[in-house]
Amino acid sequence: MIKIQHISKVYNKGQEDEVRALHQVDLAIDKGEFVVIVGTNGSGKSTMLNMLLGVSLPTEGSILINDTNITSLPQHQRSQWISMVFQNPAYGTAPDLTVLENFRLAALRAGRKGLRIGINENFRKTVADKVATLGMGLENKLDQLMGSLSGGQRQALTLLMGVMDRTDILLMDEPTAALDPKSSQVVMQLADKINKEMGITILLITHSMKDALTYGNRLLMFHGGEIIRDLSKDAKKSLQLSDLQEWFS
Amino acid sequence: MGVFYLTALQMALCLGPMAMGIFITMKVFNIPDITTDGSYTLGAVVTAVLLSANVPLWIVLPLSILCGALAGTITGFIHTKLGIDALLSGILVMTALYSVNLIILGRSNIPLIGTASIFDLLSLPFAGSLNALLIAALFVLVLLFLIIYLLRTDFGIAMRATGNNPVMTKAMGVNNDRIKIIGLAMANGLTATSGFLVAQYQGFADINMGIGIVITGLGSVLIADAIRLWTGIRKIGRQIMLVLFGCMIFQAVLAFTLSVGVDPNLLKMVTALFVLTIVAIPKLSKTFSKQ
Repeated sequence: MIKIQHISKVYNKGQEDEVRALHQVDLAIDKGEFVVIVGTNGSGKSTMLNMLLGVSLPTEGSILINDTNITSLPQHQRSQWISMVFQNPAYGTAPDLTVLENFRLAALRAGRKGLRIGINENFRKTVADKVATLGMGLENKLDQLMGSLSGGQRQALTLLMGVMDRTDILLMDEPTAALDPKSSQVVMQLADKINKEMGITILLITHSMKDALTYGNRLLMFHGGEIIRDLSKDAKKSLQLSDLQEWFS
Repeated sequence: MGVFYLTALQMALCLGPMAMGIFITMKVFNIPDITTDGSYTLGAVVTAVLLSANVPLWIVLPLSILCGALAGTITGFIHTKLGIDALLSGILVMTALYSVNLIILGRSNIPLIGTASIFDLLSLPFAGSLNALLIAALFVLVLLFLIIYLLRTDFGIAMRATGNNPVMTKAMGVNNDRIKIIGLAMANGLTATSGFLVAQYQGFADINMGIGIVITGLGSVLIADAIRLWTGIRKIGRQIMLVLFGCMIFQAVLAFTLSVGVDPNLLKMVTALFVLTIVAIPKLSKTFSKQ
């Protein structure tokens, strides 16, 4: 599904402040995998996600999704395969639009944003049913401005928005970093459900060692712009919290 | 006295499309677009030249809009594709448009005497002397309906989201650059429509008629914004209606200024002071409420 081949990323190349964010990374991810990525700050994990999303382009190497080379494709054209949940809930939603309008845009992520009014009773019902599964009572707040909701509520909705339209890959960059423990749990459980029930491939960056152990069926560790550990589902099962903490020491 | 206010209302209706255009750039896209001064004159100039050549109104109107939209497209292109600041892009296009308008006009102004006019197109039986006012109202209402419809469509939602959170819209498959260019084209097309109406209402087009007109639009949007904050109006359709209302208040204030005998030479200064007051009120009221 995802093939990352010899990807490198160098910032300020040839200058005094040159930074090598990624170095010759090779990675293949199958459809339906839930890959958890850990690593210290500056290890290259966010850089890799940003290159998948199209926020920045690699210095060398190539990225393929379903055998389509997307290496130099602009970000908005990658939305037909990829959706994103940002670290900051504010990035993933438009605060001055209503919840329903945000969902409408999400429902058209891979489609045409045409000159028809797409928010009708059917659409409202579809969104309300989906939002009700969160158990947060947000189905009664569809006409409220997104900006009036809490960070946890917005992040949970962002995750749902990510799978409103057909998507193959869900990228999540520390999605619970700004949330309280209860909201974090809701978001992580929802991600797990999306992966298991819809078969969507997920790449999750987290600094929570507990989440890294609890969720996902593959664990990657980045360090110095390289993948230094790649654990399969079985290997991950036998891993203890102390083992993970030791990796960082 | 009443004539002052009727004229003000008529002018407000003629300038309404421009105010709606400024709402789109300023409030929807968060872009300060100064192209307005040039595209407003462009709309008037194209109208005057074509009407003088006896070109029918149904051709003049779309051509005026198209010319304004083209000016907006150029501003949008310079801003998004060349990475130039939006304010500077607008200033550059506005400056260039002065020469373009002068070339099209061929001289500093053209009077429109004995030419066709949209205000003579229909003679509403019950309107009497208010005929022009009602035609302008009808025209602006149709435009208002179209803009409200557009902003509620899927495309309109993408437009509004782009101004609100461009990081999010990119991830949602929106081509931010393209949608900004379309938005600027739309806004300046609306501005040119005001030029089209005002040239016919005043009976002439002048090369300097657009100088400072952006302040009128800006003032209308700011008045609307102040009312929106007081009333808590959130729906996009109502916000656009408020802009039209803001335009009417703005023109009424100017009419009042003239009616109490203020020197017409001071009108631009009064306009600027009025806008300054609107902008400053929220800040000043916060400062005083803290004390």
